[in-house]
Amino acid sequence: MSLPEERLWRFRKPEWLNSIWVRNAGVYTAGGLFSLAFYTLLDSAVWSKSSRNGSTIHVGFVDWLPFIFSALGMLVISNIEKSRLSSESFSYTGYSSSVAWKARVILFLGFASLAGGMAGGVTVFVLKYVVPGVQWPALGMGVENLVSNFLVGLSTVVLWAAVRILSGGITPFDLGAYYFKTPTGKLYTFE
Amino acid sequence: MPQAGLKTIISLSFVLAIGFLLVILSCALWKAYYPLLVVATYVLAPVPNWICGHCANPDDFVESSGAAVLDLGRFCTGFLVVMGVALPVLLCHSGLISTPAMIMSIIGGLLIYGTIISFAMFFQEDQDF
Repeated sequence: MSLPEERLWRFRKPEWLNSIWVRNAGVYTAGGLFSLAFYTLLDSAVWSKSSRNGSTIHVGFVDWLPFIFSALGMLVISNIEKSRLSSESFSYTGYSSSVAWKARVILFLGFASLAGGMAGGVTVFVLKYVVPGVQWPALGMGVENLVSNFLVGLSTVVLWAAVRILSGGITPFDLGAYYFKTPTGKLYTFE
Repeated sequence: MPQAGLKTIISLSFVLAIGFLLVILSCALWKAYYPLLVVATYVLAPVPNWICGHCANPDDFVESSGAAVLDLGRFCTGFLVVMGVALPVLLCHSGLISTPAMIMSIIGGLLIYGTIISFAMFFQEDQDF
């Protein structure tokens, strides 16, 4: 239930964004983006051992660590129940504050893992390729590492947005429509 | 109509044969049999949706856990479909297969997957592939 007085932004969410087809297409796109991320990193690993790699630099386990952390973060973020995040919910089922606290801590760890994976990709790129002055095409391995971690993050965002389209919860598009604050600072929501 | 159904079956098997022809040509012409993985990928691609469609409880209207299982199937399907395109590109980039083999295996794989999806859509309207 969205009242016009509580609208925060000037642009409203389009109606075609509420369809089941868009939601399903978003989940398919998220799976495709994750596959693209995985095969980008696998491409750098296969290329490093192929005959086309003229340099002595090879992709090892350390290069896979940022992707592993990003994928674990994506797993945590995607599997958490987003509606448990607000403890002061107005619905009479009443989520306990303990569950909300746990959900927030786990979600924080998930986002920290995702961001750590991206930062790890930048670290591997700088330490292994930029500082020794590796030239193209061997530099492509580091670039593929960066692109892979960025695509995992993008897949997480697309999956979150797609899953929340028809669930009644908040999406990034209509965040300002469902929440308001009392003068004491408590946050209320219309489910 | 049985006449339209017969024509659909014949044309779909024709397209499937062309897809298999392209994939086998991409393997046999250069004697590198990596592009056969594309056939395995696209044959496996409808499987996650099928499994998760049976695992999810359609009567469970209140709880959204059924939607979670269906979304897992859709995620895995998206993963496998993009894998069918990404794998030949990977093999071509690393010099294991040549560029015409990559192009033929991608087109053949997409024809095989399109045939499977069309068959499911034409003869099972309630399936959600």
